[in-house]
Amino acid sequence: MTLFLKPRTIATAARILVIDDGITMRLFYRTVLEAAGFVVEEATNGLEGYEKVLARPFDLLIVDINMPKMDGLSMLRAIRRDGATMGVPAVTISTESKDSDTLKAYQAGANYYLVKPVTPETLVEVAHLMAGVPA
Amino acid sequence: MTMTHAPRAVINQITISNEEFAKFCEFFYRKTGINYHQSKKYYVDRRIIDRMNKTNSENFRDYFTFIRFQGSGEELQFLVNAMTVNETYFFREDYQFEALVKSMLPNLARTRRATKPIKIWSVPCSSGEEPYSIAINILEKWDQADQWDIEIYASDIDSKILAEARAGLFGARSLARVPPALLSRYFVSTGEGSYRICDELRGSIDFSLINIVDPMQTRKYTDIDIIFCRNLLIYFDDIARREAVEMFYETMSPGGYICLGHSESMSRMTSLFVPRKFGDTIVYQKPEE
Amino acid sequence: MGLVKGNVPDDGLGRDPAVCPLQPKLLADLASDDPGPRRAAARALAAYPEAATALCNRLEIEPAPSVRAMILTTLIKIQNPAIAARLAALLRSDDVPLRTAVIEALQEMPDSAALHLRTLLNDPDSDVRIFAVNILGALRHADVPGWLAELIREEPHINVCAAAVDALAEIGDSEALADLDTLRARFASETFMSFAIDTATRRIRGQ
Ligand SMILES: C[S@@+](CC[C@H](N)C(=O)[O-])C[C@H]1O[C@@H](n2cnc3c(N)ncnc32)[C@H](O)[C@@H]1O
Repeated sequence: MTLFLKPRTIATAARILVIDDGITMRLFYRTVLEAAGFVVEEATNGLEGYEKVLARPFDLLIVDINMPKMDGLSMLRAIRRDGATMGVPAVTISTESKDSDTLKAYQAGANYYLVKPVTPETLVEVAHLMAGVPA
Repeated sequence: MTMTHAPRAVINQITISNEEFAKFCEFFYRKTGINYHQSKKYYVDRRIIDRMNKTNSENFRDYFTFIRFQGSGEELQFLVNAMTVNETYFFREDYQFEALVKSMLPNLARTRRATKPIKIWSVPCSSGEEPYSIAINILEKWDQADQWDIEIYASDIDSKILAEARAGLFGARSLARVPPALLSRYFVSTGEGSYRICDELRGSIDFSLINIVDPMQTRKYTDIDIIFCRNLLIYFDDIARREAVEMFYETMSPGGYICLGHSESMSRMTSLFVPRKFGDTIVYQKPEE
Repeated sequence: MGLVKGNVPDDGLGRDPAVCPLQPKLLADLASDDPGPRRAAARALAAYPEAATALCNRLEIEPAPSVRAMILTTLIKIQNPAIAARLAALLRSDDVPLRTAVIEALQEMPDSAALHLRTLLNDPDSDVRIFAVNILGALRHADVPGWLAELIREEPHINVCAAAVDALAEIGDSEALADLDTLRARFASETFMSFAIDTATRRIRGQ
């Protein structure tokens, strides 16, 4: 099993917020991303995610779509509308794989779209790509 | 009401079964939105038994019938008074008062004509520290306070604590965070570390007995610009919270703000409001429709 | 200017709203052009279970999130199997905010929702099955861990299984351990699935 990729040294560790209502999913993202040297915070729904993004800046958001209180797409729209937060890169990771779902995610402001389940390798690669830290 | 002459041993004999506890909780929840877990049984039982003694009730069933069907609702009010947690103090979570005078009020003032009053509602207000803190912060720190009519409403379900709020007498514990300069400006010493809030402030706040779960009681509040609802909703369950914040939504004017306690986040209740960051705190804004 | 005293008349505790028959005006308001009356009607209709169908009809076309939220709150208060059936049908909607709001509402009406879960768990659309698992996981019912364990024995779709494992991580008991092991073997090449099962197993064992 290659779950734990080698930690790499990141000058100033990029901060990633994972927003997903699944406990095992959040823990998976956290374990994989921390092992790769990122600093990880969690939110359990879109509204909590939005509050955390308002409270302090992140280098990357990893966003589930179907979540209680506020879904991931509504959250992205809110974040993109707000001058203070609009620039943060975001990857949506969802169970839905239809073309129309992908399109909706991009329209809402996602920069990248992955379908669940993701492998640790893909996750880390995309995180490096999007959080602006050279791989 | 006179104290009963029941000796201690008899008082201690009254017990409340788990089923009775569950029945009571269901009823109390429907009336107040407050939800007790089984782990609170001791706390709840003690207060019920105390009221049973004071009303000469022989057993739980009699007492329960009494509070449910008494026309005046007086005993239910006594019980509510005994059950509520009234803990509060001046300048509690004061970063929100900072946000009030630095951001919320200036924002409202920018988009609004001065002919309409600015309405602020502190609910629950408990013994009054919160609405008085709001008033003091506005007078001290908002330079446009003179140019606006500002109405402060303050409500609580507990009639006894509300009487204390109206009286405006405070002890050292409650005043611990009030700087000396403000203490001498807005309070009068009554000796032994107690102070009374000055009459001017006391007279400027409209106190009222309100149960936020009862739509008949809340619907007279309209066009509220800022609501402070702190440290109450933590005692509610999901659906009661949901109803409460929807009620608040309806009483507010568009663009108005609502402030919650630091352990209460809208993200666990509803997405009706938009979170806004002001300084170190997040408050929630009703969208303009 | 400055602080002025407002006046709202005093009121007593625990007054019940006057009981009166359902007014056609309330139903008409539900279709008003202005969301204000629609919200007010949605809240007021909580006293009239017979308005449930009208509320469900409105929910299906209602564009304003605030009105939707209040309609759903009222439906939760009225809750019955017919309402749950109407809501369950909306899980197939493409409208993501509506769908998530409906899931939360169904979680708040466990008895009524439970009646429709079998059908939903057999829906051909894997996303609908995931939503059904999300609802199931939130129901406070002693049989839920058993149903979830049963589900992961049969369910072919990895994401539906993953949702069930997630629920088991919270509410599972030792009876689920064997089924979790079997599931691990079934998706042996999926790192996430092994990870999720390890997590659930650890939690169930209380480690
Ligand atoms: C802990 S105090 C909070 C006081 C103040 N807001 C603060 O944060 O310091 C909680 C208050 O809520 C009041 N309360 C409880 N249920 C209520 C209800 N249904 N409606 C109005 N007030 C209620 C209690 O009487 C109590 O005074």
